[in-house]
Amino acid sequence: MPAAPKTILICEDDQHLRELIRVVIGENFHFVEAHDGEEAVELALAHRPELVILDFMLPKRSGSDVLSAIRRELSPEETHVIVVSAWPDADEAAVAAGADAFLPKPFEPEHLEAIVKDVLRDP
Amino acid sequence: MRIGSRSPSLATRMIAASVALALIVTLVFAVLIDAMAALDESKQREAHSKDVVAATLAVEKLVVDLETGLRGVVITGDERFLQPWVEARETLPARLARLERLSADNPAQQRRARVLAAEIEEYIEDYTVPLVNIAREHPAAARTRVAEQEGKRRTDDIRARVRSFLNTENDLASASAVSAERQSDRALGLAVVGLVACAALIVLFGLYLVRSIARPVREVAGAATRVAGGDFSTRLSEGGPGEVGELTVAFNRMAGELERSRSELESQNEKLRQSERRKSELVRIVSHELRTPLASVLGFTSVLLGRDVKPEDQRRYLEIINAQGRRLSSLVNDFLDADRLEEGELEMSRRLIDLGTVIAEQVQLFEGQSDKHRLDTFLPDKELTVDGDPNRLAQVIGNLLSNAIKYSPDGGTVHVMAERVDSVVRVSVRDEGIGIPEELQKGVFAKFFRGDADASGIPGTGLGLTIARSVVEAHGGRMNFVSARGKGSMFWLELPTAANDQ
Repeated sequence: MPAAPKTILICEDDQHLRELIRVVIGENFHFVEAHDGEEAVELALAHRPELVILDFMLPKRSGSDVLSAIRRELSPEETHVIVVSAWPDADEAAVAAGADAFLPKPFEPEHLEAIVKDVLRDP
Repeated sequence: MRIGSRSPSLATRMIAASVALALIVTLVFAVLIDAMAALDESKQREAHSKDVVAATLAVEKLVVDLETGLRGVVITGDERFLQPWVEARETLPARLARLERLSADNPAQQRRARVLAAEIEEYIEDYTVPLVNIAREHPAAARTRVAEQEGKRRTDDIRARVRSFLNTENDLASASAVSAERQSDRALGLAVVGLVACAALIVLFGLYLVRSIARPVREVAGAATRVAGGDFSTRLSEGGPGEVGELTVAFNRMAGELERSRSELESQNEKLRQSERRKSELVRIVSHELRTPLASVLGFTSVLLGRDVKPEDQRRYLEIINAQGRRLSSLVNDFLDADRLEEGELEMSRRLIDLGTVIAEQVQLFEGQSDKHRLDTFLPDKELTVDGDPNRLAQVIGNLLSNAIKYSPDGGTVHVMAERVDSVVRVSVRDEGIGIPEELQKGVFAKFFRGDADASGIPGTGLGLTIARSVVEAHGGRMNFVSARGKGSMFWLELPTAANDQ
């Protein structure tokens, strides 16, 4: 009997990209979606997802702000974070702020898929 | 400005000082020459006096000869003893005449000489001649006359007069000598004073040259060194005589010019640096803005190519790819337009169009983009005819709609309204979004202006409104907005109507 599907929170203001991420990662997950930074923090605390895919440039609250808010409540073991950004030089800041991985925009679907698998791999 | 008109030039001053020196030297020499002439004259006067004295003594000796001859003949009766008298009587008139001539320079002396001559004449004719005759005929009678001492009295008188004449002459000579000495003393004093004054003047002139030329020149040299070292704020205290004053003024003007052109250069450099920063910022913005639609395009094409996708999803994905491709294209166009705006050559292809149709198309395009926003449109039934470029005006309306949606992150209604007001078509787009704080309103139409959108995470290039306003103005219209923080914004534009009903 397979375990209950893992929850993934997608924080991205572009609706098409949210859809793309969903399509790429596949249907074996439970998806929650946030349009902006405030919503992202709210949903993260409410759903305590296994994985957060976080655009670093969000309306209302910046990605790094969201990340530190999440890290105050959720441990790295409980919740993994993948930061996505169109600023290719944001990777160091993302990792420093507590992200597990960084994915520059635009990304190859296979790359995203591989990172998600890698991060969610059972220890 | 000419300093020279205020104070005499250095050249004039130097010439004046030289002339003054030359005058003083000339004066001193004139006084000395005058004193020498006076001394010379006094010497001549002395020599003359000696002549007079000699002539007088000669006359006195002849008078003595007269008496000696007379006494000899009276006492001895011998004619041979009369010889001195005879010779003196012959010589005297010429000697007396000479004495009178010599004393011609002094009228009083000349008068005395005449009186002396007359007295001697009288002595000879009235006394000696008769006595000689008596002595020849009655020697005894003649001796009595001699005994009577008249002769002695007369010659004593004459000799007294000669003495007095001599004394006067001596007095005159010594007075003249004293005056000559005084004059030469005075001349010497004047010459000494003049020479000392000359020396003092030369020293003063040298000091003046040092003060008015050497020192200012040294100051200018020092200031020039400081300027050469880069301190363009160096200034000299303006002033000084003539050319030196002009030099300080010219130097200050030069330093001022240098300072001004350097600060100009620096501000130009600063502008260049700013423009460089903006350019690299633009490159950052461009690449960032292109990446999001690119991510959709590349992502969905990969999905379509690499996976089995249900037919209805296939169509959806293709639509997304198409829309994002268009977005990319319009972004690229925006950047090109911004570049053309810089060059001042925005392309237009104008014809008579209905602005209402353009607005309706854009509203339709944006309506499907957000599920949180509602577009409320009010358009009149009648056509809103304008002479314009439909693509450019669609770009403007699209930009206003996109802004209204972007800057209302919580959703809400966007009111779009168009109407004909007199000779213009007025379009307004009003949102209920975050608004623009008053302090940022001034820069809204500036290129790359993003307000605090970056901090809010609202994407964009900061070019849309710049281009929109340029397009509206190129159509002979105008564009502006009203806004309040937290209450939303209303952007409006007016274009001249092209309807032929007025």
